[in-house]
Amino acid sequence: MIRADAEQHEADEEIVAPPRRRRFFRTGAAPLLPEAGAAGAPLTAVIAVMSFLAVLAMASLLMVNRAASEWTSALRSEITVQVKGATAEEIAASVAAVKRVLEETEGVLAVTERSADETAALLEPWLGHGNAQAFINIPAIIEVKAAPSLRDNLDLLRNRIAAAAPEASLDDHARWHDRLAGAARSGQAMALGVFLLVMGAACAISIFAARAGLAANHEIVSVLHLVGATDSFIAAEVQQRFFILGLRGAIIGLAAALAALMLAGFATSAGGGEPFLPAFQLGGWMALWLVSAPIATCLVTAMTARLTVLKTLRRQY
Amino acid sequence: MRPPNRRPRNKTGIALESAKEIVRFEQAGLAYEDAPETLSDVTMTLGEGEFRFLTGPSGAGKTSLLKMIYLAHRPTRGKFVLFGEDAMEAPREALPALRRRIGVVFQEFRLLDHLTAYENVALPMRVAGVNQGQYREDVSELLNWVGLGDRMDARPPTLSGGEKQRVALARALVSKPDLILADEPTGNVDPAMGERIMKLFVELNKLGAAVIVATHDLHLVQSIGKPVLRIANGSVTRSAGAGGAA
Repeated sequence: MIRADAEQHEADEEIVAPPRRRRFFRTGAAPLLPEAGAAGAPLTAVIAVMSFLAVLAMASLLMVNRAASEWTSALRSEITVQVKGATAEEIAASVAAVKRVLEETEGVLAVTERSADETAALLEPWLGHGNAQAFINIPAIIEVKAAPSLRDNLDLLRNRIAAAAPEASLDDHARWHDRLAGAARSGQAMALGVFLLVMGAACAISIFAARAGLAANHEIVSVLHLVGATDSFIAAEVQQRFFILGLRGAIIGLAAALAALMLAGFATSAGGGEPFLPAFQLGGWMALWLVSAPIATCLVTAMTARLTVLKTLRRQY
Repeated sequence: MRPPNRRPRNKTGIALESAKEIVRFEQAGLAYEDAPETLSDVTMTLGEGEFRFLTGPSGAGKTSLLKMIYLAHRPTRGKFVLFGEDAMEAPREALPALRRRIGVVFQEFRLLDHLTAYENVALPMRVAGVNQGQYREDVSELLNWVGLGDRMDARPPTLSGGEKQRVALARALVSKPDLILADEPTGNVDPAMGERIMKLFVELNKLGAAVIVATHDLHLVQSIGKPVLRIANGSVTRSAGAGGAA
């Protein structure tokens, strides 16, 4: 049995262990791979930037989604009937005929005829104040709130209106609807592309950092193997380190992105608001989706690190 | 210390020999990449509960032989059976289970500098997935036993050579291995401590563990009086006893 005696202790240097550095997230047992080996602070900073971009991409996607939904639903619920004529009396007669057809049509929820003044006001930017009615017979505009069932089958209504008032034409806004939907799809694809690019960049960084971490910790990995560690155990250690670093970065990135979005929201409000894009509002599903972006970055980083370590260990050790 | 736990285990399914045979080499050779063979004709066996000193001149291949046994390197040719399993054919996934049955005291200690003495000693248990509650007492007891009860929280850079050696020793023993390998375990301690460490190995051997101690300290070899394997010119020969270790 060994029992070191007092002489041995006297011979040994009396050096006090340095105090442990406090960590942001402490786990029960000390990490087997030192933080520095996984490029601690720089990796946290890079993941913070990735998370920031991921949140912005996700926010763009959500805002474009919401805007597109608002634009298209408004357009889809309304149709417009324009009634032309050589004289005011002819227009009035045609309007009355069109209204009768609309009243008899199932799926018409509301009919609103724009007054001559309202219609003239719409033309003022092009013709100038008070000039519209003086020069032309302004067509009458009838706005119709349509139920989805009517919206999906407008041909019958179009034919009946044409029969009752040949000078009337029905505009279902399909052209605008399709163009807005196309623009929205482009915006969504772009935001999704940016999000996926950020995830790809996070993967690449994670692979690089995991390899560098293994190389820097070669001796530790070797000792772990020799005391019986499996590749999965070592990979899990690295994954845990990367997850913690990723989580720190993700929280920093999320906070920065939310601050940026709030500032952009204030700036938009102060500037009188942007007519096409809805204001940024954090709440409900929006918040959940935004939080999911940094979590995805964090998980992608950790999982990539795990897979990289497993592959590297099989190849090099 | 409780006797080492030696249940018959076979993870690879390639059972070749009885469980009584711990290590067997037959005409094994080891070459590092394209270099000439460091070990060229190793034929030896180590049975359960046997004790062997491994001696030989510097550079003869003592450490290389130990590395083959603790599976840091596999022989490049020949036959190698470890715990009854064909270690030449064992898949990579089977190696950790074999390594966990071996306690190694490395010449250069190989402690992890960022972990405390306690955490270093607990390392084999931790990698084996044992809950800390199950080994905390054993680790503390072991550290007290090697005279480091008051230095459990110290990290290796703050320990002296002798203290590091004792931490390395405790780490090798904590999992109660079936086979203990020590590479120059007395190289960094004073003669009195060296003698105590050797007596500890003898004690562990009496409790059932097979032991191989590589050393060039012939005085200690003679004082213990256990069989000696001499390694020279790439091959291993067995000397009759302590006197043949020269």
